[in-house]
Amino acid sequence: MADRPVARSAIAPAPPVAVRDGWEVSTRRASGALRLADRSPLAKVLVRADPDGPFADRIGVATGTARRTPANALAASARPGEWLLMGPPGSAGNLADDLGAPDDGELVTVLDVTHGRALMRLTGVRADGVLAKVCGVDLSDRAMPDGSAAGTSVARVATDIVRDDVAGVPSYLLHCERSSGQHLFASLLDAGREFGIDVDGYANS
Amino acid sequence: MTARVRAARSSRRPAETPFRLPPQPGEVIDRSRLVPFDWDGRRYVGFAGDTITSALAAAGVRTFSRSFKYSRPRGILTASALDPGCTVQVGDEPNVRASARRLAAGMSVVPQNVWPTLRYDLRSVNKVVAPFLTAGFYYKTFMSPRPLWPAYERVLSRFASGGWTSPDAIPSYYDQRFTHPDVLVAGGGPAGMAAAVEAARAGARVLLVEEEHELGGSLRWGGAQELEALGRLRADVAQAGIEVLVDSVVAGRYDDNWISIAQRGLPDVTERLIKARAGILVVAPGLIERPYVFAGNDLPGVMLSTAVRRLIDLYAVAPGSRAVVLSANAEGDAAAADLDRVGVEVVRVLDARRGEDVRRALGRGTLSAVEVADGSRIDCDLLVTATGWTAPTSLLNMAGNQPVWDPLAARFRPGEGLPDTVLATGGIVGDGSVDELVAHGTATGALAAARAGFGSAAVVAPLSPHPHPALFRATTHGFVDFPEDVSSKDVMAAAAEGYDSSELVKRYTTATMGPTQGKLETVNTVAVLAEATGRSIEELGTTVWRPPYAPISLGALAGRVSPPARYSPMQPWHETHSAVPLVAGEWIRPDSYGDPAAEVRAVRSAVGIIDVTPLGKLALHGPDVPNLLAAAYVNKWAKLDVGSVRYGVMCAEDGVILDDGVTGRLGAARYLMSTTSSGAATVWQHLESLLQTEHPDWRVHITPMTTAYASINIAGPRSRELLTRLTDVDLSADAFPYMRVRTGRIADVADCVLWRIGFTGELSYEIHVPASYGLHVWEALLERGRDLGVRPFGVEAQRILRLEKGHLIVAQDTDGLTKAYDAGLGDLVKLDKDDFVGKPELLWQHEDGAQQSLVGLVPVDPSIVPAEGCQIVDGATGILGRITSSRRSPTLDRSICLAYVLKQYAEPDTVVTVRLPDGRRIPATVTPPTHFDPEGARLRG
Repeated sequence: MADRPVARSAIAPAPPVAVRDGWEVSTRRASGALRLADRSPLAKVLVRADPDGPFADRIGVATGTARRTPANALAASARPGEWLLMGPPGSAGNLADDLGAPDDGELVTVLDVTHGRALMRLTGVRADGVLAKVCGVDLSDRAMPDGSAAGTSVARVATDIVRDDVAGVPSYLLHCERSSGQHLFASLLDAGREFGIDVDGYANS
Repeated sequence: MTARVRAARSSRRPAETPFRLPPQPGEVIDRSRLVPFDWDGRRYVGFAGDTITSALAAAGVRTFSRSFKYSRPRGILTASALDPGCTVQVGDEPNVRASARRLAAGMSVVPQNVWPTLRYDLRSVNKVVAPFLTAGFYYKTFMSPRPLWPAYERVLSRFASGGWTSPDAIPSYYDQRFTHPDVLVAGGGPAGMAAAVEAARAGARVLLVEEEHELGGSLRWGGAQELEALGRLRADVAQAGIEVLVDSVVAGRYDDNWISIAQRGLPDVTERLIKARAGILVVAPGLIERPYVFAGNDLPGVMLSTAVRRLIDLYAVAPGSRAVVLSANAEGDAAAADLDRVGVEVVRVLDARRGEDVRRALGRGTLSAVEVADGSRIDCDLLVTATGWTAPTSLLNMAGNQPVWDPLAARFRPGEGLPDTVLATGGIVGDGSVDELVAHGTATGALAAARAGFGSAAVVAPLSPHPHPALFRATTHGFVDFPEDVSSKDVMAAAAEGYDSSELVKRYTTATMGPTQGKLETVNTVAVLAEATGRSIEELGTTVWRPPYAPISLGALAGRVSPPARYSPMQPWHETHSAVPLVAGEWIRPDSYGDPAAEVRAVRSAVGIIDVTPLGKLALHGPDVPNLLAAAYVNKWAKLDVGSVRYGVMCAEDGVILDDGVTGRLGAARYLMSTTSSGAATVWQHLESLLQTEHPDWRVHITPMTTAYASINIAGPRSRELLTRLTDVDLSADAFPYMRVRTGRIADVADCVLWRIGFTGELSYEIHVPASYGLHVWEALLERGRDLGVRPFGVEAQRILRLEKGHLIVAQDTDGLTKAYDAGLGDLVKLDKDDFVGKPELLWQHEDGAQQSLVGLVPVDPSIVPAEGCQIVDGATGILGRITSSRRSPTLDRSICLAYVLKQYAEPDTVVTVRLPDGRRIPATVTPPTHFDPEGARLRG
C-alpha cells in the first residue's frame, strides 16, 4: 500500500516543499510586495440554487459580490444562482453543512469542488496592473471594489476573480478549473515580472 | 552584408560632429551622457536623448536610405516618426524609424535594402528606365504570362524594402494590456495636455497618449514663451494624476471607443499593444506639415520647416550650412529665424505668400543648389519648405466622421457629425495662439469629463482656422509619395488613364499606401488629381483612413505567445517516465511511453493503466435529469437504475453524431455523465442550451466536473485482481457486473467513482478519483500491480485496442456529415420516443436508408497499413468510401482498419480497392467492425 494519501495542487509548489494539512505545499516566503500564492488547498464548495429563491436569501451574497461569513469562510457569486464557498483546508463538509437543507421542493446542488478547481491569491498594490495584462475586465476600485466577484477570462482561461483585500492591500483570488491552474499561475508570474512579482507559500486562508 | 559583419568592420574612432550646436534652450539631449553606436560600419557618438538621425545629422550624414522603386538617395524630411527616408535596420530589428528611435549604447544601425552599399546602389539603374516605370507598370507588366510569376517574384523581392530578421535572433518580448480610462486623450500637445488636465481635475481617470518621447507638441521647439507654457502644462499634468504614455500612439478607434495603442520605450518590452475601452476619446494630434511638390523635392537637404526646428531646438543640430527657405506661414518664418540665430547662412527667404516659389532642387546625391521660379540659381545645402498643413483626421474618420476641405485654410478639417463619445481639440480643429489652443483644450476636457459623468457640462467655443495659401505643387513635377516613389506625373498619368477618383488613384499608383499611410501624401495627391481632372479638392475628398494610424509590430498584435495548456494530475509522473507528449486540443497527454505495441500486449495479456482525465464529466442533479437525457441522447433513459451505467449517442438537430459516452446514476437524482475528451465543452453547451431555451421548466443543474476527478482506466484480464488490492468495493462479477457504477475508497482515497465499462475490449474499470489524489492513486496502482505485470499505456495503444475491438471514436470515425445510421448505431436510435434532438432527420434517414456503412477492413497483404483518409475506389475514378482508422494490430499481427463504404459494398468478404497516397492500389476485404473478441467474452468476464 502506498503512503497515506497526500493531496497535490495543479500548481507545482516552489521549493522548499512540505506537507501541511494533508497537502504538498510550498513553504517559501515571498520577499516582495507583490505576491502570488497557490491557495488550492482551501476547501471549495459550489452551490447552485434559484437566484431569487429562499436558499439564495439564506446565503445572502448577491451576484457580483463576495463576503466573509461569520465562520470566516468566503462566499462569492460570480454569476446568478451560483456561489463558491471557500474555507480552511478540510472544511468542505462543514461549509456544506452550515448551509442547512433546502426547503422542500427547492432544487439546490451542493458540490465539493476542492479538487476540481485551482485557486490562487494575487496580492499587492500593483496586482491590478498584473491582471490588466491578461484580463480585459475593468479592475479599478470604482468598478471592482473589495468584495466584488466576476467571471471572466484571464490569460485565455475561464476564471472567476474575487476581490478580497488583505489588511487594506488589494488582493484577488482567482479560481479556474484545475487542469488550467499551472498555465494560469505561470501566466500571472510572466505578467508580473515587470512589477517584481514573487511566489509566496502556503497559508490556510 | 549582415549587421554583424558591418559591425566588425566598424572603425573604432568615432566620427566628428561638426554640425552639433551649442546648448539650446529646449534641447532634449543630455550632453553628460555619450552614446556610442555604429552606422553602416562606422563608429559614431551621440548624446542620450538623440534620435539615430539627429546624432548622424550632427556628424554630417545626409543620406539614410535608398528609395523603394528608383533607389534614389533619401535623407531627413520631417525629423519625426513620419520621416519617409529614414527607415533603417537596428541589429536584428528591421524597419526602425530612425528619426523617432532614440540612441542606445552599442546600437548597430545599417541601411536597409541597399545593394551593395548605400552610397553606390546598383538598383539606382532603375532611374534610367524611370519613364517606363510609371503608374500601373507593375500591374501591366507582371500579370502575364502567368507561369512566369514565380520568376518575377524572385526578382521583385530584391527590390522590396523591409529589412531582414535573423532566425538566430533572440525573440523579442511583446505583450498586451487592457485599460479603462474615463477619458483618453490622443495627442500631448498644448490642447491635448490642457484637455487631459481639465478632465482629470473633474475627477475622471485620464490616459494621455503622445507619439513623441515627451509631451509638448510644437511647444517644444518654440521660443521662450512657448517653453514657459510647456513647463506650466507639464507641471499641471504631473499634478493631476494623469497616466501619461509617451513614445506611444493611438493606432485605431473601433466601435464603442475600443481603442488600440502601441506603446514603446518600455524597459523590457519591445512593444506593447494596449486595448483601451475609453468613455470619451479626445482626438488632439495637432497638425502635420505637408511637403511641397517640385522637381528634386526628395533630395537629401530638402526639409520641412518643422524638421529644421526639431533638429535645431530639440537636438542642437544644424541641418545645413547654407539655406534657402520657402515660407508661406509663421512656422517657416520661425525656421528661418532659428537658422539665422544658430549661425546657418540663410541665403534667401522666398515668401510664398507673395507668390515667390522654387522651381527645382539640384544636386547629385544631395542638394547643392536651388533653381528659383524667377530662373535664378542659388547654391545651398539646405532647402526649407513651409507650404501648409495636414490635419490627421484618421481617428475621427474611424469614428465615422468624413473630413471636409476648407479652402480658406487649405487643409481638410473634421466634418460635422461625431459620436458623443468622441471629441476633437487643438490644431486638428483650428488655429490659434498657445493660450487659445490651451483654452480650447481646457473646455474640451471639461466637456469630455462631463460626458463621462464628471463635473458639469461645458461649452466649447469654436477654434477657427487661419487663412493659408493653397500650395501643393510648383511648376515642375516631383514626388507626392516618398516611400512609394510616386510622383505628381504618375498621378496625372493615372488620371489620364481614367483612374480619376481619390480611391482609384490610390490603388493604381499606390500613393498613400506606404508606411506613412497618407499623412504626408494625401492632400498633395488629391490636389494633383484635382489639377489633372479639373475637379475641385472638395469634390474629390480624401481616401478613407483605417486602422492602424501608425505601424504596429506583428509581435505586439500577437502578444505573449502562450496558448492555454491543460494538464492531468498525473502529468509530473508522465514527464519523468518518458511519455511522448500528444497535444490534444488544449490537453497535453501521453501518446505512449515509447512502445505502444508492447503497451497493447500488456493490456491484452495482463493489465495496463491509462490516464483518461480529459474525458468530459458532467454532474447532473435534479428530478428532470431523465427527461434531459432522453432529449439529448437518441436512446432511452427512463429506466436507468441507481448503480447502472448506459452508453448513449447524442446527435445534433441534423441527425449528425455530436458525441457519445456513458452516463451513470449515482443516486436518486444524481447522475454523472461522461463525454469524449474533445466534446466536453460542446456537450455542456448543448445541454445548457436545451435546458435554457427548450425546456426552462425542467429542474436540472449541470456542473462541469471534468477536472474534479483524475480518471484512470484499468484494463486487462488482471485488472480486477489489481484493483481489488486497493479498494473496499466488492469487484466480483456478481456484485459489480458490466455496465454498473459504484462509489468507494481507492488507495485510502474516499469519494471515488468506479465504472465497469470497457473501451479496449478487456475487463476494465474506469475510476474517477478526487483530482488532488490522482497521482497518489496512479502510483499506488503501479506499485501494487508490479507482480501482475501492470504497465501504463498511452493514447496510441488505446487507439489500437479500441480499433481491434471496432469501437468508433467520434470525430475520428465520424465527421460533420455522419448520421447515426451511417455509423452502424441504428439499433440505439429509438424512434418510438416522443422526441429527442435530431429525431426528424433520423426518422427520414431511417425511412430513406443510410447511404454508407461503417465496416471493418483488412488489406489482403497484412503488412500494408493504409494511411487514414485513403479512399476506397472502383476501377476507374469513382470513390466508394474512405478509411477512417488504421493501425497495425499487435494482437492480430496484421493491419486492420475501420472504413466507410457505400452500402452495396458493406457485406463481409467483399473485396474493395484502396488507393494509397503513393498511387498504388491494393485489395482489401470488408469485415465486421469488430476485429477481436466479437462476442465480448473478455469484456464481460
